[in-house]
Amino acid sequence: MSGLKEIIREKLGNDADAFLCLKSEDGAVLPVLISDVGSPDLEAVEVGEARYPLPKILAGLLAAYPDKRFAVLVRGCDERAVIELSKLEQMDLDRVVMVGLACTTEEAEACGCPRPYPNDIALGEKVEPAPGREIIAEVESLADRERMEWWREQFSRCIKCYGCRNICPMCFCKDCSLENPHLVEPGVIPPEFPSFHIIRALDMAGRCIDCGLCEEACPAGIPLRSLYRKMQEIMADKLGYRAGESLDEKSPLSFLGTEADLEKLE
Amino acid sequence: MMAETSNETSSPDGIRILAFLCNWCSYAGADLAGVSRLQYPANVLDVRVMCTGTISPYFVIKAFQEGMDGVLIAGCHIGDCHYLKGNYMTAKRFQVLREALRFLGLEEGRLRLEWVSAAEGEKYAEVIRSFTEEVRALGPSPLRERREAGAGAVKA
Repeated sequence: MSGLKEIIREKLGNDADAFLCLKSEDGAVLPVLISDVGSPDLEAVEVGEARYPLPKILAGLLAAYPDKRFAVLVRGCDERAVIELSKLEQMDLDRVVMVGLACTTEEAEACGCPRPYPNDIALGEKVEPAPGREIIAEVESLADRERMEWWREQFSRCIKCYGCRNICPMCFCKDCSLENPHLVEPGVIPPEFPSFHIIRALDMAGRCIDCGLCEEACPAGIPLRSLYRKMQEIMADKLGYRAGESLDEKSPLSFLGTEADLEKLE
Repeated sequence: MMAETSNETSSPDGIRILAFLCNWCSYAGADLAGVSRLQYPANVLDVRVMCTGTISPYFVIKAFQEGMDGVLIAGCHIGDCHYLKGNYMTAKRFQVLREALRFLGLEEGRLRLEWVSAAEGEKYAEVIRSFTEEVRALGPSPLRERREAGAGAVKA
């Protein structure tokens, strides 16, 4: 895409030391960091349809190069991840330049995206959101016991590959609860119901930015996104918070707060 | 600790409830209920914690996983926390945890949050009575039934 190349040249010449985006190589789309306008990678940059957790890669780069500024290509979900990660002290927004890419209608529909565009759009056209809530509505229509059986069946396919956690842009803890033998018994497949998955779901409360990479990565086709999306809805309904929306409002689960915050609780 | 007690119970109906009680209010409230010789069901195992704010949602998950039929969290009234704001966190976490468990199919009545002060021995006894009644009506937890039937995962 020529527009992207122009933007990369411009950013590298002005306010960024390197540009993080995707490139096409031998038919595969890969993340690439371009630090020089003469780089052959610049000719191969690509927005493509493939998605990568670029914010996760960015957080690592920012930590490894504390005196550099990075520009990054962000879709709506990536932007939400960058914002939320900055509030969780995982990246310094002063050293990040976001270049917004709006998804196409097909991409938004394929992803079931609630907001397929970033705040500032440099590339592409803003399209209508296509939020997919069908599974949540279906699960909620079941009685308690049936709902548990439904989830039990879904989670019984889990092979504990940790793909959902590894791909997740919002997972950054050095000590992961999913590897705590008191919570998740080692060597047991599928993991005991529902500990593994509810631990991840609870950790996603106030964090999940609904990018859907977990479900895309899951080799067992577990509807993880619906679970985490429900956690998002719970956070919004109960605590009035949506991850990745505001630059300064932090998740209510990350600080004690005031008595007034509790008044609307049941 | 819980693994040892999970196959035995002192209550005749076999319903097991785990109660997390905060050191400063609810544990003292339970103590008051005891010294006042108030009657309440013997289905409760209690765990004294310094503040309900120290209770990770994982503890509750672990309790259900180990075969508890109900979990009670009891702490100081809002505004009375010994650590000033510990129970604010409890109140917020509880909302999220209860909804998450409900979405996975665990009955809402199995998890309860109550504020019980050190002076409220009668309230403590009443909470235990009504909560035990509620959990008893729901019957054994579906998570425990499975566990005791020995169904589930294979160890690799």
